[in-house]
Amino acid sequence: MALLALVSAGCGGSDESPVKSSGVLRVGTEGVYAPFSYHDAATGELVGYDIDVAKAVADKLGVRVEFVETPWDSIFAALEANRFDVVANQVTITDERKAKYDLSEPYAVGEGVIVTRADDNSITSLADLGGKIAAENATSNWSEVARQAGARVEAVEGFTQAIKLLNQGRVDVVVNDSIAVYAYLAETNDNSVKIAGTVGQKSEQSFAARKNSGLLPDLNKALDELRADGTLAAISQKYLKANASGAPEAAEAPQQPRSTLQLVLDSLWPLAKAAITMTIPLTIISFAIGLVIALVVALARLSSNPVISNVARFYVSVIRGTPLLVQLFIVFYAMPELGVRIDPFPAAVIAFSLNVGGYAAEVIRSAILSIPKGQWEAAETIGMNYTTTLQRIVLPQAARVAVPPLSNTLISLVKDTSLASTILVTELLREAQRIAAPTFEFFALYGTAAVYYWVICLALSFGQARIEHRLERYVAR
Amino acid sequence: MTEQDSRAENRITVEDVHKSFGDNEVLRGVSFEVAQGSATTVIGPSGSGKTTLLRALNALDVPDSGVIQIGEERIDFSKPVGKDQLRRYRAQSGMVFQAHNLFPHKTALENVTEGPLIVQKRPKDEVEAEAVELLSKVGLADKRDQYPYQLSGGQQQRVGIARALALKPKVVLFDEPTSALDPELVGEVLSVIRDLAVEGWTMVIVTHEIQFARQVSDQVLFTDHGLILEKGPPDEVIGNPKEERTRQFLQRILNPL
Repeated sequence: MALLALVSAGCGGSDESPVKSSGVLRVGTEGVYAPFSYHDAATGELVGYDIDVAKAVADKLGVRVEFVETPWDSIFAALEANRFDVVANQVTITDERKAKYDLSEPYAVGEGVIVTRADDNSITSLADLGGKIAAENATSNWSEVARQAGARVEAVEGFTQAIKLLNQGRVDVVVNDSIAVYAYLAETNDNSVKIAGTVGQKSEQSFAARKNSGLLPDLNKALDELRADGTLAAISQKYLKANASGAPEAAEAPQQPRSTLQLVLDSLWPLAKAAITMTIPLTIISFAIGLVIALVVALARLSSNPVISNVARFYVSVIRGTPLLVQLFIVFYAMPELGVRIDPFPAAVIAFSLNVGGYAAEVIRSAILSIPKGQWEAAETIGMNYTTTLQRIVLPQAARVAVPPLSNTLISLVKDTSLASTILVTELLREAQRIAAPTFEFFALYGTAAVYYWVICLALSFGQARIEHRLERYVAR
Repeated sequence: MTEQDSRAENRITVEDVHKSFGDNEVLRGVSFEVAQGSATTVIGPSGSGKTTLLRALNALDVPDSGVIQIGEERIDFSKPVGKDQLRRYRAQSGMVFQAHNLFPHKTALENVTEGPLIVQKRPKDEVEAEAVELLSKVGLADKRDQYPYQLSGGQQQRVGIARALALKPKVVLFDEPTSALDPELVGEVLSVIRDLAVEGWTMVIVTHEIQFARQVSDQVLFTDHGLILEKGPPDEVIGNPKEERTRQFLQRILNPL
């Protein structure tokens, strides 16, 4: 009976599987979550436990794998929006998630462990926690476990801070998930702390797919095979220096750290490339389109037709009254619900253009209004129509008034493009995040990115001064 | 056709023109004629409607009713007027503003060539040659490449006159051409206008320069409360006014103390 069910499930899966028919498995992952999903500091390649497992699964299924890097906070929205087929990012199995998504069998299994200083032999199990001080994230279930065992709990922000307090001797113990502890030990080679015992609570991590995706039979079959042939264990050893696969043992391979200066030097070109290929084009294209929108909207607002001018007024009001980040999310994550799926870069261009259009429209409108009525009349008396007057008489003079505030808009836009990192555009900030993630050198990498933004804005300010000088040639000084 | 012949049609006929701004009726039935090749000055107190009258001749303010004919273009404003008709009508006249309204981002020469080049789409060589000639006529040949801010008020106004003439209008309209000028600059502008009168241009001039009006014009109109109260040769209207209002006005202008 069970065999029959398995066979029929297997048949159904292989016949209808959308992945096998398309020949590609699209995998959503953070890319900044070492050691599970991150970019190798030396090669820049996307690697990690979850990455390698996803690759191995695709291999078993005989399809190509394609990774789509998405911030964790929007990863499920992107899954729903069909930007990829599965999430591989240490998704912990919970009842809520089970209800909303198709969750595979676990490919990583953690359990609660007790961490102490390496030289502390007084604790080996929960029973020894009475009267000890534990450092725990206030909202985590581990906090509750430690408290019930009789420990006094110090609330901290996160795991790294907890370990730091342990190192400094301010607390005696930290209870947390074994995978997080393995990851920390593998990254830092910290040997001043050790795993002293277990608490017996398991956490299981799995792939997540859209509900009723039909992917589960394939995924589970592949995971079973990988577990059986030792591949999962080998991948776990490689990244965690421990076996967190919930499967038997295999080999291992270490990685080597780099100095901060070397890291910054190595990051200069990748960051410049991100600025040149993404940040700057995104800025220029969005600003150019935005200016055209702004001019049309400004003229519409000045129109004597109340319908036209009110539509324009409404547009400006909506754009200025809603956060740019929300506008980006609507274009990228919400439009697919209406059947409009736009790639990251064009989506960013659309959102930024519309945003610039709203702000610059008011600048252009007030610049046009600053031109004396006599200029319109003089043009009218020499026979010019509306368009020609605008083009040859009013706009050239309005430009002089509008350039300083429009430069502000442009310089803001340069920095606002960093928001595109939230919709999968690999621009300057996103690249810095990618490089920083596996190394924990956030200050150095974000600092370098900040310098790049600053240099771009300096160049723009210089250009602004030149344009202003040119436009002022006909004004008494 | 010689230039003189083409000016045979350069006359203006205004019949019963009315114009209101909201509740304020600024022109309450104005009629007059300007003979070809003659100069008409319009005098009158502030708010009497003289500027509105001039602007109606160029359709900057479109009358509510009445008939105006300039050259061969005749419009009955009590009927709907098409855009093209209005454009042809406007092209009959050139306008010189009180505040000159030169284009500040264009040189003196470019201000003069803008209309013929862009609107009339005539060849550049020809237009520039004419523009240089016009600038010489107003005494500014050497200022052709200066921007307006580099010119004095009188020079700016003379460029404004050259700009109005460049389109070869049938009549030239002046809206208080010297009111915004420093007193010592008034003479150079008036002398240019006087030259144009001698050349035989058909002109309508709104002005407060009573002596100038007396010397240069063939006809003087005195406006008051939206009506033409008195019209005739300068020696009659200015030299020997029939109306009490005209006398009071002239008294105030000529002997302000």
